[in-house]
Amino acid sequence: MADSYLVEPDIGFINEVVKLGGQDVKKCFQCATCAVACPISPDTKPFPRKEMLATSWGLKDRLIGNGDIWLCHNCGDCSTLCPRGAKPGDVISALRAYAVSEYAKPKALAKAVNDPKKLPILAAIPAVIFLVVGLITGLLNFSPGGDEIVHAHFFSTWLVDLIMLPTAAFAVAVFANGLKNFIADMHANALLEGKTDKQKIDAGGFIQALIKVIPTIFKHNRFNECGENKARGTAHMMVFYGFLGLFIVTNTFFIVLYVFKIHGPYSQLNPVKWLANVAGVSLVIGSLLLMKERASKKDQVSTYKDWFLLWLALGLGLTGLLAETSRLAGMAGFSYFIYFVHLMLVWSLFAYTPFSKLAHLVYRTVAMAYQEYSGRK
Amino acid sequence: MANANTAPASGSIMVVGGGISGLTTALEAAEVGYEVFLVEKNPYLGGRVAQLNQYFPKLCPPTCGLEINFRRIKDNPRIKVFTLAEVEKVDGSAGNYTVTVKLNPRYVNENCTCCGACAEACEIEISDEFNFGMRRIKGAYLPFEMAFPARYVISPQIIGTEDAQKAKEACKYDAIDLEMTAKTIDLQVGSIVWATGWEPYDATRIDNLGFGQYDNIITNMMMERLAAPNGPTKGKILRPSDDKEPQSVAFVQCAGSRDENHLPYCSYICCMASLKQATYVRERYPDAKIYIFYIDLRAPGKRYEKFYDKIKEDENVFFIKGKVAEVSEDPTTKNITVVAEDTISGEKVHQTVDLVVLATGMQPTAANQKLPADLQFTEDGFMINDYTKGGMFAAGCASKPADVVSSNQNATGMALKAIQTLASK
Repeated sequence: MADSYLVEPDIGFINEVVKLGGQDVKKCFQCATCAVACPISPDTKPFPRKEMLATSWGLKDRLIGNGDIWLCHNCGDCSTLCPRGAKPGDVISALRAYAVSEYAKPKALAKAVNDPKKLPILAAIPAVIFLVVGLITGLLNFSPGGDEIVHAHFFSTWLVDLIMLPTAAFAVAVFANGLKNFIADMHANALLEGKTDKQKIDAGGFIQALIKVIPTIFKHNRFNECGENKARGTAHMMVFYGFLGLFIVTNTFFIVLYVFKIHGPYSQLNPVKWLANVAGVSLVIGSLLLMKERASKKDQVSTYKDWFLLWLALGLGLTGLLAETSRLAGMAGFSYFIYFVHLMLVWSLFAYTPFSKLAHLVYRTVAMAYQEYSGRK
Repeated sequence: MANANTAPASGSIMVVGGGISGLTTALEAAEVGYEVFLVEKNPYLGGRVAQLNQYFPKLCPPTCGLEINFRRIKDNPRIKVFTLAEVEKVDGSAGNYTVTVKLNPRYVNENCTCCGACAEACEIEISDEFNFGMRRIKGAYLPFEMAFPARYVISPQIIGTEDAQKAKEACKYDAIDLEMTAKTIDLQVGSIVWATGWEPYDATRIDNLGFGQYDNIITNMMMERLAAPNGPTKGKILRPSDDKEPQSVAFVQCAGSRDENHLPYCSYICCMASLKQATYVRERYPDAKIYIFYIDLRAPGKRYEKFYDKIKEDENVFFIKGKVAEVSEDPTTKNITVVAEDTISGEKVHQTVDLVVLATGMQPTAANQKLPADLQFTEDGFMINDYTKGGMFAAGCASKPADVVSSNQNATGMALKAIQTLASK
């Protein structure tokens, strides 16, 4: 450590973290109970005690690029044992939200995603895009006919993909840019705090580490180490596999449509459809359980960022299943409307993920891979 | 000392609690001429101090202080001592209280010579609460060698058994009276000083520190008894699981103190107590290593700071800034591993030791046992002194966590407050 260190507190940063759910950070008196209570905190430079100190001192640059805030799974064991009620779990969660908006460009969009007042605008964006692009291209048919309800007759698959593909590409680009900066910052932070002995990041080794952590993520091993919030592990797993299943289904549809030129809707007997239904139900139940879990935890801070994601997940699952069942029930108008809402939510998922709490799927994965790569004990 | 001609008393003072604070208040008031009733619920005076091995920072045994106080009480006809006594009700107002006191039976009268024949005759063994259950004693017992009044006690647990009869028969002085019953008396006093003291915080409530779960995790008050020459090990510090002499001891500071899940306040004495207890171990075992895990080490005042500096010079005493939050036991060796983050180095420390001492804090007695009077308390059970209203005052640890010196200063002050109540009547 340097002989002298000039602390330059960023007051604005402290206030932001406080707003994002870290309101009790200043109660911390650095006893380090949290770092021991945490079941997944390493022996070398454990978290979250040092993050609590850096936050109350407003040391933004020590935190934004700190991989440790992503290793935390917010199980709440630290907050339960905390003798001061400083709620380290919620502070770290707030730091993650801040870090997401820091790495996601354009910043204005990141701000909007975290601001409840901007929700109507965010919701209106996909509707406007669909209507405008639909009307310009003429791919939007307001009087879909035929005996059978086919959602694609209303929203042409061409229209959907014309909008969704660039949106997905946009999300990937935002993530790529964010990750580039994040990985560099994370490595610099690890070197500064003595968390790694690797001077440079070697791409091959990093990818190997990434492959190694995938089973951990799939099995939710870290969640299972949690004491206080164990019930959340199963619910999170349901949401996780719900999304994963639907991702596989969507890609299968896409390939089948463009390669084999086979149009939906598929028969309910088709195994892909089975997967879609199971995944949809899993998503709905999982997100409901997570909501219940969050609502019942009175000692945990829940903010807009948390509810935004939960409602999005639940909305996606519900509208998807409703669009399908109403189609089978022959309720044409209702089904087309719900399908429209569903498409809006899917678009929001793509477009807003890099700016929302859901971005953890990328940042946490990368941070866990880096942890594996760094050789920290 | 005051003589009978000074300071005419215009009423009496009741002191509730015969620990170091209560003794001081009683003596200060009595020695300037006031009549004092000293009410103590235990069968002996001396309270928590009687259980200590040594005072900090001078490391002298508490018997010195207690002995002279007992002597002063004996010599002073104005102090009336009631042991095994509890206040049941307080009526009236400042200057004019009627206090109902319940006197529990000791079953031993003043004929007792402390010969010990009754204890020898007994067979049933009961838990020795004076030694925190670390040994068992006979149902007829002397609480400790220096007990004042120096008289045996028959435990209510053996009343009605054959043992009680055997004890009675063994007594050559006709000192045992098994027919004694509890009685209540009313006392008229002008002011009351509550010196009800403290209880060690119940360490079993601190889930993550393993007390009650692992044998070799003890509390600091148990350590005092282990180190005391009249304790269960005759002053040898031996760990509970196998009576081994510990070669390494970890002290866990703030065990339940400064913790809103337990006692939110600093208990004031535990840092000094652990530093003192480090000397107990180091004096007995020259190679023993001591690990003190702390949040902030508090040695208030110049004398305590000096004591801390002295301990720091010992190369076998290690200070780790970080609170222990996890403990585990090796099932074969019964050694304990404590885990903390050393916040100076930022590394987790897993320290395996022979014995762990939890520096548990003090909880006011009134927190768990409501006092039968119109008194005001903080959320934590410390009594709030209302000097405008007057009449009743808290002294010593009943009003805030304190060491012996501060308790005595405070207790002297409260003696004056009690006297002022009488004078202004």
